[in-house]
Amino acid sequence: MRYSRFSSLLAGAMALALVVGACSSSSSPVASSGGETGPVTITYTWWGNADRASRNEQALTLFKKKYPNITVQTSFIDFTGYWTARATEAAGRSLPDVMATDMAYLREYSANGHLLDLSKYIGNTINLSGFDQSLVKAGMVDGKQIAIPTSTNTLALFYNPDLLKQAGVEPPAADYTWADYNKFLAAVSDAGKKTADGHKIYGAIDYATTFWFFLQWLVQEGKTPFNDDGSFGFKEQDMKDFLALSADLRKAGQIYPVDRGIQLLPKGGFTMNESASEFSWDNFLAGYVADSGTKNIQVMPVPTGSNGTKGMFWKPSQLLSAGANTKHPDAAAMLINFLLTDPEVGAIFGTSKGVPADKAQRDAMKPKEGSVDATVVAYEKAVADQVTAPVPLPVKGFGSIEAEYKTLGEELDYGKITIDEFVKTWFAEAATMTQ
Amino acid sequence: MTLTERMTRTGGPATAPPSAATKRRRAAETRAGYAFLAPWLLGFFALTAGPMLASLFLAFTNYNLFAPPSWVGLGNFQTLLHDPRFAQSVKVTVAYVLVGTPVKLIAALAVAMLLNNRRRGQGLYRSAFYAPSLIGASVSIAIVWKAMFIDRGIVDQIGQFFGIGWGGWVGNPTMTMPMFILLTAWQFGAPMVIFLAGLKQVPAELYEAASVDGAGPVRKFLMITLPMISPVLFFNLLLETIHAFQIFASAFIISGGTGGPAGSTLFYTLYLYLRGFQDFRMGYAAAMAWLLVVVVGIITLIFFRSSRSWVYYRGEAE
Amino acid sequence: MTIANVAVGTEEHSATLRRRRIRSVLFHTFVLAVTAVVLYPALWMFMSSLKPTSDIVGNVSLLPENASLDNFFKALEGIGGVSFWTFFWNSMILAVLSVVGIALSSSVTAYAFARIDFPGRRVWFALMIGTLLLPFHVVIIPQYIIFNNLGLVNTFVPLLIGKFLAAEAFFVFLMVQFMRNLPRELDEAARIDGAGHVRIFTAIMLPLMKPALATASIFAFIWNWNDFLGPLLYLKDPDRYTLPIALRLFVDQTSTSDYGAQMAMAVLALIPVLLFFMVFQRYLVGGVATTGLKG
Repeated sequence: MRYSRFSSLLAGAMALALVVGACSSSSSPVASSGGETGPVTITYTWWGNADRASRNEQALTLFKKKYPNITVQTSFIDFTGYWTARATEAAGRSLPDVMATDMAYLREYSANGHLLDLSKYIGNTINLSGFDQSLVKAGMVDGKQIAIPTSTNTLALFYNPDLLKQAGVEPPAADYTWADYNKFLAAVSDAGKKTADGHKIYGAIDYATTFWFFLQWLVQEGKTPFNDDGSFGFKEQDMKDFLALSADLRKAGQIYPVDRGIQLLPKGGFTMNESASEFSWDNFLAGYVADSGTKNIQVMPVPTGSNGTKGMFWKPSQLLSAGANTKHPDAAAMLINFLLTDPEVGAIFGTSKGVPADKAQRDAMKPKEGSVDATVVAYEKAVADQVTAPVPLPVKGFGSIEAEYKTLGEELDYGKITIDEFVKTWFAEAATMTQ
Repeated sequence: MTLTERMTRTGGPATAPPSAATKRRRAAETRAGYAFLAPWLLGFFALTAGPMLASLFLAFTNYNLFAPPSWVGLGNFQTLLHDPRFAQSVKVTVAYVLVGTPVKLIAALAVAMLLNNRRRGQGLYRSAFYAPSLIGASVSIAIVWKAMFIDRGIVDQIGQFFGIGWGGWVGNPTMTMPMFILLTAWQFGAPMVIFLAGLKQVPAELYEAASVDGAGPVRKFLMITLPMISPVLFFNLLLETIHAFQIFASAFIISGGTGGPAGSTLFYTLYLYLRGFQDFRMGYAAAMAWLLVVVVGIITLIFFRSSRSWVYYRGEAE
Repeated sequence: MTIANVAVGTEEHSATLRRRRIRSVLFHTFVLAVTAVVLYPALWMFMSSLKPTSDIVGNVSLLPENASLDNFFKALEGIGGVSFWTFFWNSMILAVLSVVGIALSSSVTAYAFARIDFPGRRVWFALMIGTLLLPFHVVIIPQYIIFNNLGLVNTFVPLLIGKFLAAEAFFVFLMVQFMRNLPRELDEAARIDGAGHVRIFTAIMLPLMKPALATASIFAFIWNWNDFLGPLLYLKDPDRYTLPIALRLFVDQTSTSDYGAQMAMAVLALIPVLLFFMVFQRYLVGGVATTGLKG
């Protein structure tokens, strides 16, 4: 009869769901009495693609050999999904035991004690003797060490020598200024060369519309972007001055057209070999080479500021933190120490996250001649004596004001708003976002 | 008068008190009703009602997910009124609802009627028309769609064939809405399937009788098809409208989560998500959400009221 | 019949045949044309999966220069030690269970709203429609907190329990509309025979609801197959990831992106849904019209 079939179907389905649920929950136990002595399971979450996942798995295999009684349950997702998931977990007070963090969100997560203060582990379980002390400070908020950098990067100018040859323009000299860079861009764009597909070759996209480049310029001008109390160390006029740097180029149509850039997302003018140069973090070289197919992309420092220095800084490209709600803080600290300082881990990751912060890891890398890793390492060695400024420590709401800057920059490039409107809107939004 | 009503009439004046039998039957009906409704009631109270009420509470607070919510009364709503991005998101969404929904429904009904016969290849055609709805929700739609609407892409080529040089639509803030409407209309397969199911319920005898009376295809459509499928038409109309107000996934995927270029794809729910999860202003997002509930709720109410005059349920005739 | 009449009759017959054939040809041509337009993006997607990653973004030509199946091999390798088939089976389990749950719970709930008159029915119906109106982003945090406190994070339960409790008003409302459109004579005939609501529901309603159940199943399967946010929030272990999550892992803004593998995996992910649809759309056939209501 249909009735019995119906009810048995219903019973079967519910039973199946419950079984699946039970099986799943029983395989992720939280040991109630966990010391370092008994077997312990901790969770470790990071963002990234398949390549980074396999590197992490290699590192964790080594970890298991060294600490056989600690089992690490891993989880990973792409960058955007990562932060949605972490925010939800934070609301539910269930952050992972060990997680990758980014400078942009440190303050939000450290407020209300969501991240564990690792200070008591430094010097014993976590050995930071191979670290630059100023770098360690980058993970300190309100006197608590709530994150430790894994690797660093610094800004660089990438350029495509093949396109430059085609345009007949020389790359900028080592001590070039922003005005020199503008001249360089104008020269490339005005050369009027086209790619094989018939698209015009430009010098670069509008560099003034990326927030971190604005911060770099501020540091060059001797300003501290963010004060300890969370207020801004810059005024509206500063932003107007920076945006004005590329204003002439915008007017003359010498910057890469913004509408085409949007059409090409997730790629861009530079990775489509239609624009000759681009500023970015130095460890993005791997992505640029892979996306553009141009193997000989060159790296050089950012322009020199008006007072003769480049004001470059090391920015932690990624940090590690422990969730404050962790039930196994000691095991979490051990994993953090391993990932940060074990030399073999340095060899495994290379420069995929940035140049390792720990000296032993840097030395263990031994990159192949001519590889991306080798180029990045060589670049950082070459500019090391110019990287002297402290990194701007992001304020609360940094992620939002960075995104707002980009959105307004797009509208500026479309010609929908003026520089004054840009600055006014940004400061008004930033006031609410950083409360 | 239905058989049931005839059977239950005990005769006598209409104001006679209900007999014991009627009372028993009504009690049995109530028990049966709640028995059948039990799963939904359980789900509603355990999973839905609580979170909905929580979000309503959040609308009157500042909540950044990391600290407990703090009460601000109507503060969020006051900010909303002066927020230019909010106004933009309303504009974008309303434009999309007003144009996109009718286009999608008309395409769906037209194709459903086309495929509502016994010709060969039915299954294949239906699957072909439904395929877009499958792809539309996938993350790869971003690349696929951009490839079509980019400079020199297929859409540009079609335009040039007709002498129109509209270039790429993706980077052009004025063309992104038409592009979105096309993207939505392209996924007409979903309402089409529902229309098909509804069309199948129309008895063939009615059409035959109308043919005998000499009715042409237009009269058959207006006098038979539309009234007979009015329940599913109402369903599709209401739900497509509600979904259009809440569109998120395609907007997020195609604009890369920014609502660009220049705010032209800043749909209401996308803006809500950005405020809630990117800026960590959940209270503001909740306020936006509940404002939407009120507006769409009023529209839904109007739809339901109007449905009494044009929707015909065969199970409730007379 | 005279020979002349037979001749005329045959002429008319062949004229009708010709007309019918022309109409058939026109029909198929027109539908094929529309199909071509509608399927162009799908075709583009398939063609891209045969191109190397660097040729996909920004490329306007449809056909690949060097078609190869490399992307498919890469997609099948899986991610981070988890194979493609694991993602596939996770998606399949969730989708199939969702279909079962929704079909059962929505039809039962719809029957209550459509066919039983009980006090409070209108209020519950209004509340149910009301649940459609709230954007889900503002309820996911409270819902997550509930499931987290129950220790159900990283299981399939949060993703499935709502399906078995008719939490998605779309399906309930769909069934209600279909049920209200079914004539009551059958119900009443059964009632005279002494059948209670349960028998009417299972013996009469369900068989007549085939088109509605097929429609609901199709939608339930597809929405669940493509669901991203639920699995993102509730599934932490990559062994439990579903295909939509795996797809996002190929393209990450902070590291190198593999669009080719993403396209290939997207194509592979399409196949089960398409098959599901092709199988179930056969049930979108006449309901009442073909069952014995005549006489």
